[in-house]
Amino acid sequence: MEVKVLLADDHPLTRAGLKAYIETEESIKLVGEASDGDTAWNIIKKENPDVALLDIRMPGKDGVAVARMIKDAGLPVRVIMLTSYAAQQYVMASLRAGARGFILKTATPEELSRAILTVSRGGLYLDPEVAQAVGEKEFVPEDISAREREVLLLAAQGLSSKEVAKKLFISERTVQTHLASIYDKLGARNKTEALLLALKYGVVTLEELIE
Amino acid sequence: MKRHLLLVLSLAILMPTMTVLIVAGIGISHQEWAMERVARSYVEDLAQNMAYKLDQEPPIWRRMFPYSMNLHGWGMSFLTSSVPGWVAIVSADGQLIYASAGAETLASIWNPGIPIGKAVEIKDSRGAKYTIAVIPSSQNQYFVVAAVEWEQLLGPMVKLSHLWLILIAIMVFASILALVPLFRWVIVPLKSLVDEIRYMQWGKDKPAKDDPIAVSEIRRLRKVLYDLSRAAIERDQLRDSYVSDIVNVQEQEKARIARDIHDGPLQVVTAFIQQVRLFRLSSSRGLAKSAEHLDMAEEAANTTVRELRELCDDLSPPWLELGLANALTEASERLSRHLGIKVTVDVQEGIDLPEEYILTMFRVFQEGVNNSFRHGKADWVSGKVSLEKDQVVFEIKDNGKGFEPDMDLQKLRLEGHRGLSNMKERLGLLNGSLEIESSYGEGTLLVCKMPYVISQ
Repeated sequence: MEVKVLLADDHPLTRAGLKAYIETEESIKLVGEASDGDTAWNIIKKENPDVALLDIRMPGKDGVAVARMIKDAGLPVRVIMLTSYAAQQYVMASLRAGARGFILKTATPEELSRAILTVSRGGLYLDPEVAQAVGEKEFVPEDISAREREVLLLAAQGLSSKEVAKKLFISERTVQTHLASIYDKLGARNKTEALLLALKYGVVTLEELIE
Repeated sequence: MKRHLLLVLSLAILMPTMTVLIVAGIGISHQEWAMERVARSYVEDLAQNMAYKLDQEPPIWRRMFPYSMNLHGWGMSFLTSSVPGWVAIVSADGQLIYASAGAETLASIWNPGIPIGKAVEIKDSRGAKYTIAVIPSSQNQYFVVAAVEWEQLLGPMVKLSHLWLILIAIMVFASILALVPLFRWVIVPLKSLVDEIRYMQWGKDKPAKDDPIAVSEIRRLRKVLYDLSRAAIERDQLRDSYVSDIVNVQEQEKARIARDIHDGPLQVVTAFIQQVRLFRLSSSRGLAKSAEHLDMAEEAANTTVRELRELCDDLSPPWLELGLANALTEASERLSRHLGIKVTVDVQEGIDLPEEYILTMFRVFQEGVNNSFRHGKADWVSGKVSLEKDQVVFEIKDNGKGFEPDMDLQKLRLEGHRGLSNMKERLGLLNGSLEIESSYGEGTLLVCKMPYVISQ
């Protein structure tokens, strides 16, 4: 069965390239193209695609806004964010908005196909370049403790160390010790990186992280 | 002297007052003492005179005229009312033998403590002062009592000494009264003003506007300092707002450049990479479409070059060195192409300016045309540069919808609309000016004037 895809990108040349990428993969079918967020949203409602490839920066509603609308409307459309930026904060913002994938516009046709297919099957796809930015590929992380996991998930919700401490009835110092230990085990340098690595290594699931 | 003027002033008031007080005090006490001596010798004389007479006369007079009040026969007629004082003769057993007219006063001032043979002062119940002397005579058989009231004997002198006392008291009181306001209205306000100024942060704080207690000179001084410090605060605020404005503009420019690169070259280069990959993919599969991808890659590369060149030209126009006419013509062509409206410019033959001036005129033209297009919705803008006496006049006219030009530039600036105020400030740096003639439905005319500086 073909995977139905919507492509939304405001730049005609990159859109044409991505379209050509998609057309090389037989199992993927492009059902609509949009150059802004509002058009994308209209096509999504009409065509009900399996996967929406959304540019983060678009005139009108941006990709993150459209992703949030899909999430809020409870549509069974899986979102992959398209961007020229490799910033980790964008990745987190996209994931929080409900995106299941994050891919750079410079990705190869194979990577794009893999992303679409992975996400359409319910998986999570992070661009290797972004993933690379967050650590070695062949790294096997140490197991993190249940308490550390709890701390990480609360921190993922945007809570400060102080708030996490209050919620878990432990001291702020202990929270920071836990976080340092998590960073160490995952090879992360900061909170966002730790979250992305935890996702990548399957230490936490996307659902846990977003809830 | 200058340094301690206030102290000197205070002393200048206090010292003479104190001197007068001391000298007058000594004078008055001396006068009092002299009056005392006069009164004493007077009553002693009076009494001794009588006692002497009694010693001379045979005591027979007592038998002949017992209790007689008339002693004229013994030459005592001097004791008439024309001579001040009273005399009485008392026997050793306390019987009054003789009293002159009015001598009942003696009874009222009499007290047993009065010594014999020596004049003393006493006061009666009303406070009037008397000198009294008791002299024994005829081997202590009789005592002559003589007294005089000061008022009666020395009337004017007593009055004068009282008057002196009052005058000096008034003078001392007045001097102290003068020192109190000097302290309250001058010294204290000055001191508090100095303290306020000393610990003031110039450009942040200001002294209190008024001190109603101070004298008017100090109030004026305070007002001047208040105005100065307020001006300093305003100047600092203005500077801060300019600095933050400049920082904002810088950041906005950086953001704009980043956006231009992101939306332009970055996308096109991405497309280029995509097309190269597609070419590789399709040529490996032997597809006819591969040439198409190569063409698109080439086109993308060309677009990138063009966009980057535009970006560079926009950041720092290289054609400014070609002279005023060429620079403005280039600008008009570019703006026309970029905005899709008609933009023309006409530069009077022979005018050329230093590059700095050309850059300013170029930016003003750019801003003006962009404003006409964006805000005025004009589809035609024309620029004209001419010489008027020793001034270069640059007029930019459009067929847009116009606006009300008496808008507050400062307000517009604060709201983030810097275009017009930027133009004005840039022209101001070259001693130029900007005038705007516009009204709704009439289009807009910008008139920029600057001194004609011959290009080197």
